[in-house]
Amino acid sequence: GVAPLGPVPLTKNCFFQSQMLEASSQHMPHPSDSERLRLYFPRNLCPTPSYYPQSLPNCDSLDFFQRLSVETLFFIFYYMEGTKAQYLAAKALKKQSWRFHTEHMMWFQRHEEPKTINDEFEQGTYIYFDYEKWGQRKKEGFIFEYRFLEDRDLN
Amino acid sequence: DRAPGGPMSMMHSGISQAREYDDPPGLHEKTEYLLREWVNMYHNASAGRDSTKAFTMFVHQMNVQGILKTDDLITRFFRLSTEMCTELCYRAFSDQSNPSPSLVRAKCFHTLDAYVRLITLLVKHSGDANNSLTKINLLHKVLGIVAGVLLRDHDFRSTEFQQLPYHRIFIMLFLELSAPEQVLESISVQVLNAFCNTLHILQPSKAPGFAYAWLELVSHRVFLGKMLVLTPQQRAWGMYAQLLIDMFKFLAPFLRNVELPKQIQLLYKGTLRVLLVLLHDFPEFLCDYHYGFCDVIPPNCIQMRNLILSAFPRHMRLPDPFTPNLKVDLLPEITQAPRVLTNFASMIQPANFKKDLDSYINSRSPVTFLSELRSNLQVSNEPGMRYNIPLINALVLYVGTQAISHIQTKGQAPSMGTITHSSHMDIFQNLAVDLDTEGRYLFLNAITNQLRYPNSHTHYFSCTLLYLFAEANTEAIQEQITRVLLERLIVNRPHPWGLLVTFIELIKNPTFKFWNHEFVRCAPEIEKLFDSVARSCMPQKPS
Repeated sequence: GVAPLGPVPLTKNCFFQSQMLEASSQHMPHPSDSERLRLYFPRNLCPTPSYYPQSLPNCDSLDFFQRLSVETLFFIFYYMEGTKAQYLAAKALKKQSWRFHTEHMMWFQRHEEPKTINDEFEQGTYIYFDYEKWGQRKKEGFIFEYRFLEDRDLN
Repeated sequence: DRAPGGPMSMMHSGISQAREYDDPPGLHEKTEYLLREWVNMYHNASAGRDSTKAFTMFVHQMNVQGILKTDDLITRFFRLSTEMCTELCYRAFSDQSNPSPSLVRAKCFHTLDAYVRLITLLVKHSGDANNSLTKINLLHKVLGIVAGVLLRDHDFRSTEFQQLPYHRIFIMLFLELSAPEQVLESISVQVLNAFCNTLHILQPSKAPGFAYAWLELVSHRVFLGKMLVLTPQQRAWGMYAQLLIDMFKFLAPFLRNVELPKQIQLLYKGTLRVLLVLLHDFPEFLCDYHYGFCDVIPPNCIQMRNLILSAFPRHMRLPDPFTPNLKVDLLPEITQAPRVLTNFASMIQPANFKKDLDSYINSRSPVTFLSELRSNLQVSNEPGMRYNIPLINALVLYVGTQAISHIQTKGQAPSMGTITHSSHMDIFQNLAVDLDTEGRYLFLNAITNQLRYPNSHTHYFSCTLLYLFAEANTEAIQEQITRVLLERLIVNRPHPWGLLVTFIELIKNPTFKFWNHEFVRCAPEIEKLFDSVARSCMPQKPS
């Protein structure tokens, strides 16, 4: 750079400011400082070689989430609470006819047409995702009460 | 807002109360007990959505402890709580037994987030549902207290100061208060106002140890969105411009000396990024406030200024400056004045100088006005700081806008033919001839700052600069004009449209005899540079 007007001696105050800035540059703000607390994966920044992908284009669109496997979607749903990713995962799951049960806190999908359907519930065989055993399970004769059906419009 | 008893006075009383220590006996213990209780309740599963259930119970406890009895006790409660939260962070940082930095952070956030939720709920529930004044006053008070505790901590701990707890409190509180809820939406402009006032009070020159967090807050996507998009009628634009000016002012003395220590470079890079975001997403904002920004950015910060001057309204399509035979004066936009949201006329001080200026513009006399002009702009004899730069900038733009309206009232449009032989051009020619190198550099920079997208200022000042070149009585003036234009073009993109158009006209139009000048060939690398510029904008360079 050039200083067409020539350098000007810095004031004492400028030296103080520079010193305070230097000290605080030793502990810079971290990306997580301005994010909601991530319980399961705190941000853990580390240098990665440039020949590894540094970002994914378009990865916060519903389109992208619909191409993920259900396992991935369940993972995002349970481990990234309160984020846009969780919202998009829930949306993608609903599009694949998964329904969230608010008492069991698990996702259910009809395995076949229910044996019974009335105003309060439906009953039949369901596939559900067990977040404790971390896998899909089948349940026969399950009663899905509609009052536990999460049916908010995710738009 | 600034009226006595208004929200701003609440903030200032909060700041000064952060320095009081004469707490009634037992209050410290009560606060500590209550805060710990609240942190536990906040993290308990039974707290209810947004902690509302826990809050109802907690308010009861606060009542039992007598905290809610007087405003004074509530204020002290907030001050003590803020201090306790920050103390806890300092302890977590110094505790060597903590295994990982992310766990240290999680520990800090555990308490800070709970405290922030408590502030949010107290603000939301203070007064009646429709009483926004109580809520706003309380928010100002709390922000004032946190700012006051920060400033005291900053003074007291000096280089040991930690920005994290304050950064977290401010950003989380802002995000909580930006939630889509009716109570909050009805006070959203005042909330923004409160945060802007707080950030202005904590600007980098006041709290340099907080500067990085400060820039993070100012450029946070939610904050930026609220300030520049979501607030109707651009009502927050002025406040946001003030915050950027705060940052430019802080950087200015370092930037003008070129040798930047690493910590300043870091902050400078961050500021450039913010400007890039603004240029890409909110060019109209940069257009409207370019004058105020250029006034505080040192003359040698060419790229920073180019970012601001390259902004143009999104609906506009700029013709390629390299188009052969581009007729600038036929562009429809060239008759329209740009919006300048800084009152530059009022910056022409003292009042009697302004009076003399106006009278000279109107009557073209007395001639002594011109001979005294230089001494009015000069403030010292120190090389490098001889001139009042803001005054030069204001004078140049004021005289130019007066000239444009003068020409228009005669039913003409500014052009190379109509701008000459007037009181306005007398002033400009006099400045070009009479000022020394330093003064002329600043003067020419003030003109070049107006060479932006197609508008009447750009056109007028482009003609003016070319006219000053053509009519110069010494080669030194011509060399300096070339220098000012060229040094803004040899930096990386972006380059303002008007700057390119003016430079191309200068080297292309044979009337300026540009290629006959000594300085074009003063050094082989300069000559090469001109050749390459010439090749890019015209088919054949006159030899």
